[in-house]
Amino acid sequence: MPFNQKPQKFNAKINSVTIGSGDKTVTFGGDSTFPFYTFDAPSENCAKVGVEISDMGLEGMSEGVKAYYDGASTIGEIAKKAAAMEGADFVALILEGGDPNGENKPIEDLIAVVKEVAEAVDCPLVVEGCKNVEKDAELLPKVAEALQGRNALILSEKEENYKAIGAAAGLAYNQIVGAESAVDINLAKQLNVVTTQLGVDAKKIVMNIGSAAAGYGYEYVVSTMDRIKGAALGQNDNMLQMPIITPVSAETWGVKEATASEADMPEWGPQDDRGIDMEVMTAAADLAAGSDAVILRHPESVKTISKMIKALA
Amino acid sequence: MSKFITIGERLSTTAPAVNKAFTARDPEPILMRAKQQLDAGATYLDVNIGPAENDGPELMKWAVELLQSNFDNVPLALDTSNVAAIEAGISVYNRSKGKPIVNSADAAGRIEYIDLAAANDAIVIALCNGEGIAKDNDERMMFMQTMMERGMEHGMDVENDMWFDPLFLVIKGMQDKQMQVLEFIKMISDMGMKSTGGLSNNSNGMPKHIRPIMDSAMVAMAMMQGLTSAIVNPNDLRLMETIKSCDIIKNNNLYADSYLEI
Repeated sequence: MPFNQKPQKFNAKINSVTIGSGDKTVTFGGDSTFPFYTFDAPSENCAKVGVEISDMGLEGMSEGVKAYYDGASTIGEIAKKAAAMEGADFVALILEGGDPNGENKPIEDLIAVVKEVAEAVDCPLVVEGCKNVEKDAELLPKVAEALQGRNALILSEKEENYKAIGAAAGLAYNQIVGAESAVDINLAKQLNVVTTQLGVDAKKIVMNIGSAAAGYGYEYVVSTMDRIKGAALGQNDNMLQMPIITPVSAETWGVKEATASEADMPEWGPQDDRGIDMEVMTAAADLAAGSDAVILRHPESVKTISKMIKALA
Repeated sequence: MSKFITIGERLSTTAPAVNKAFTARDPEPILMRAKQQLDAGATYLDVNIGPAENDGPELMKWAVELLQSNFDNVPLALDTSNVAAIEAGISVYNRSKGKPIVNSADAAGRIEYIDLAAANDAIVIALCNGEGIAKDNDERMMFMQTMMERGMEHGMDVENDMWFDPLFLVIKGMQDKQMQVLEFIKMISDMGMKSTGGLSNNSNGMPKHIRPIMDSAMVAMAMMQGLTSAIVNPNDLRLMETIKSCDIIKNNNLYADSYLEI
């Protein structure tokens, strides 16, 4: 009997959310199939890759990353090189120096960094806070204000601070709101509901549903993404049709496979290679499970993942 | 499974205010009731213009255009015994939010409503009745089969576009038949077919404060049996909360703390 292909059709699609301004924009989402199921329907918009840079400069970065940015001494120069990386669709600035349990940089200093980056590059921008909910509730509204007109993605509001961040980014300063939950599908939906109840347009929300490095409780990430895409497409659940962005590098560069030095673990091989492997494996799995965009750090990872997306699209 | 579909029943000539507004072509009362029902979470709105023997086609066109232009092409169930009025309504109907529903056919005098739905690519509510109420589930099944065959003959997608109505019966008077109706819903569901019905028939004649309680119990039991839709008063908060909760338990909708608000 001949094989008759029966495409899986959904009367629903993931929202298309565009970040950036002018002729430098990038769009997340837009598909009405499971990730890379191009045999069901052509992909309208393939997944995107962002390059992570930090207000802490190159401190703590791997040798390969430092080598790529060699000669860049200011955050503006680093941003320029990040934007020029092969395969990069956008730049993601993380303001980790703001963390009260770390450097605890004042908000004005961080806003100066944001402005310097915004002036240096005209590509689409994602700005991540310092992960402390109280500090982010003050910091991210100011970031949203500083980036007026750039249509940037602000990562992210959480259950504890969505009112301050969602209202500032989504209503007052017309940016795209990132809604972050920690691998909890019910909370992911709830955050979208309450954010839209603030008055934020559902089509201006991007979800970060949480992440993990491959091998570190990662199966929960996959099942959560899978279930979200299933409800968004199969049940036409418009409170889960927001595209998903996943900051990969922040997880993968912190696990022992990436941090153990070659001197300590000679049998594991070069440290930089291991870091790239972790980043590439995790990002590939995220994209296959449902991420519409990933944030990576190493130029080799950015190039590889971008190539993979184009080959499968 | 997809979410339970509610069809709001409050635009009916059986309500004097609505009847008057239809006759006078007065948009305000119609729009107000439509808005109340949509705000409360109705998916479809039933537009019951009665027999409308004189001006059915013109009235149905007016109502369809009025409602769809004011409420983002809200999907509608066209409810009248006047065939020309249903055709006229469909001729101006915008399908972007869902196909029109023809309300309703049966296995006897109104079987041609299936042909009408098929010819217009509409959904049809197929009441499992002949002349009078079916005496048992064997007879209901026979009526259902007759209507399915008719639908297939006319090229209908019977699994999606024929919604079988078991006919909810009044408890005060037909209490002994209630489990039969619920068992029949299970039969419809086991055949992979969709179902709907006028849920509040069951509580007809009961005191006003009892009806939401009885309707909620009935919808929960019917959803357990596989009912996929019902014609209801969406402004019955207890009923709507029950439907939303059953959709969660049935995994038709993903839980979030605010599920009752969406």
